[in-house]
Amino acid sequence: MLTRADLAKYPFLTEASEYIRELGLSIDDIATPEFSPVLERAEKRLEEALSKGKVSRSDEADEKIEILSFPVSNLILSLTGEERARRRFALAEAKRAYDLLRQEPPEKLERIATKSFNWKLKRVDMVFDEGSTVPQLRRVYDFAVGLTDFLRTAILLREPKWKLPNRVLDHGFVYATRDEVARLLQEEVRARIVQRTADPPRQVPRLLQPKVEQTKGLIIKWLGIPTIYELPKVPVPEAMPPCVRHLIEQLGEGKNVHHMGRFTLAAFLNNIGAGEEEIVRAFKPASDFSERMTRYQVEHIAGKRGGRTKYTCPMCTTLKTHGVCYKPDEVCATIRNPLSYYKKQGRVLSRKGL
Amino acid sequence: MSQTEQTVRQRFQQYYLSPEAQPTLPPRMKEREYGFLLFKEKFMVRHRSFKSQEALLLAIRDLVPAHVYFSTAYYLNPSAPMDEKGWQGADLVFDVDADHLDTPCKPNHDSWKCKACKTAGTGSTPKVCPKCKNDRFEEQTWLCEKCLQQAKEETINFSEMFFRDFSPDRADVQFYFSGHRGYHMHVHSDELLALGEQERREIVDYFLGLDLDPELHGLGEIPVGPRVKVTQGPLIGELGWRGRIVEGIYDILSREGETFGLSPSEVETVRKWDRDNLFTRPFWSSLKGISVGTWKKIISRAVQAKSAKIDTVVTTDVHRLIRLPGTLNGHTGLRVVDIPPEKLDAFDPFAESPVFQGQMKIRVGDAPEFRLGDKHFGPYHDEMVELPAAAAMLLLCKRRGEPAA
Repeated sequence: MLTRADLAKYPFLTEASEYIRELGLSIDDIATPEFSPVLERAEKRLEEALSKGKVSRSDEADEKIEILSFPVSNLILSLTGEERARRRFALAEAKRAYDLLRQEPPEKLERIATKSFNWKLKRVDMVFDEGSTVPQLRRVYDFAVGLTDFLRTAILLREPKWKLPNRVLDHGFVYATRDEVARLLQEEVRARIVQRTADPPRQVPRLLQPKVEQTKGLIIKWLGIPTIYELPKVPVPEAMPPCVRHLIEQLGEGKNVHHMGRFTLAAFLNNIGAGEEEIVRAFKPASDFSERMTRYQVEHIAGKRGGRTKYTCPMCTTLKTHGVCYKPDEVCATIRNPLSYYKKQGRVLSRKGL
Repeated sequence: MSQTEQTVRQRFQQYYLSPEAQPTLPPRMKEREYGFLLFKEKFMVRHRSFKSQEALLLAIRDLVPAHVYFSTAYYLNPSAPMDEKGWQGADLVFDVDADHLDTPCKPNHDSWKCKACKTAGTGSTPKVCPKCKNDRFEEQTWLCEKCLQQAKEETINFSEMFFRDFSPDRADVQFYFSGHRGYHMHVHSDELLALGEQERREIVDYFLGLDLDPELHGLGEIPVGPRVKVTQGPLIGELGWRGRIVEGIYDILSREGETFGLSPSEVETVRKWDRDNLFTRPFWSSLKGISVGTWKKIISRAVQAKSAKIDTVVTTDVHRLIRLPGTLNGHTGLRVVDIPPEKLDAFDPFAESPVFQGQMKIRVGDAPEFRLGDKHFGPYHDEMVELPAAAAMLLLCKRRGEPAA
């Protein structure tokens, strides 16, 4: 069973929302004086998230305030309509949850994963490399996570240990340690909060309006004025990632580039603002070049034909699977999509005045 | 349309009008998109949907396509344009094709010709022309007994790995012979339907063993005393890749241990090992002089040997159109066959996929020897022959022959 103390630790749980519902509070109660500690804590949550990127545990022992302040923070945030702030807050609250979850006994983790997030999860006691005298080499798994639940969350994480080929699979379950389950739950918490702060209610209690304005101020203070980085107007070849440069070279030498490579190049060029003519020109040296076909495909990728979807450049992981990734460099280690490489390098180059 | 295409199309039409033509319907058939590649100008009719097998068969009889496809995806409106279809999920599909396998018999039946300088050769097509360095070729491939046998074995190997590690409900898994050079495995499990492209890519990476880090599977050195270290690693029989790594190492070391720095006597020792007793501690440290770095190289080869030979694009594409079982493959005139899992091992594509009856007279250019059922044909070289229709159609579809005038 979850106690009220648990709900204070994990106010994003459905049980916490139910608890609030049972208190019979309405949105107008926010304006009452008894509510001011809740408002204060809600503001503190937001300020900490925005300034430090992490929400600390409250010094106050009042569980009720902890539970109630969380949805109030969500409400204020949803009213600001600021996506970067929502993401930052979600991450900060999720990190706080992770710190607490990793200390929980397995039965509590199990309860939260299976009941609140509908995971398929089994308790196991699986030890690998048991004979090892070095603790780091022993692997003790307390859990087996259902494959789809594992994949949904693990694809968001970048460390090699989250890659499926590096896991032990057993009949549709992936073995995981307690700490790993807590880490995966952090991603679930984050996704849930991002979603919960998405749609502001139509009716806003008047008292909240100044809080919203205040939070907007905090967002500008800590996250700055949103700057939309403008990509260079003309494609800058020096800023292109190794895979794209390799594709252009290969085509330039009249070598055959398979479908995935061609798609990547066309989508990449289209997204960095190259014109249709420019993209078609890149394909011209191909030994099987057909102007009509290339133009058709380029228009398709640009969303001018067919499904009218404008295609974005595939992710690095996808390119790796299909063998398009080529000699990744140190910048590649920091990005997930060739377009981010271009943005990043474009910025560096423009700062250098190139 | 060429004379050959007209003849092939006519025969396809006769087949589709006959009572034996019964396409196998995929589960939830009404939620699927169907596609037909026509003989005429290779035109693709897409975004069609059907409420019943009769309606689908009527369309096939009407269009007489060279290839018939259905979507692995389920849609709210399967006949709407792509971005209005309302994707509901997709079967998890795997494709094992002889094209991706390196079989030793390829020189006997596959050939290539450089489009630029017309240099020709046999076997797998080279990356660039040995003479003029161009890389565009005309290729001719063949349905070879050995290649298809290996594709089937790879399919079985892969499916065993899949069943052990993923444990789907067996009733949700279906196997098909593509009617050409490969096998498909479809998984209809509800749990896997909603997987997105990224998740499916992880699954492909898993079966390829891509970026597998041996240290995350237990390879490491442990100090057992001052300046003495012992190597340890996974054991045979362990779950997933842990056990597979060890099986693979045995094969690699007994075959080419010398290249990894083993002495001939050590290689001989490995060869004599009983596989079942293998790699129980202290195996990893008993082969002296193999550093963790070398083990990693060996493991990388072992993973390669044990990895599934699956097509990466087919599995990750959640909008894929794939061959409909029970229809004809326009590249061969053979039927796409639904194979019950327990019969996969004994399945003979050359016996169970031909459909055409009667005799046909054709002129054959060049064709290697082949078998259909228990009859052997060829090799042929520029001759007029009268053959059972299935054999003649195969030659026509593979563009190895023309209808006799």
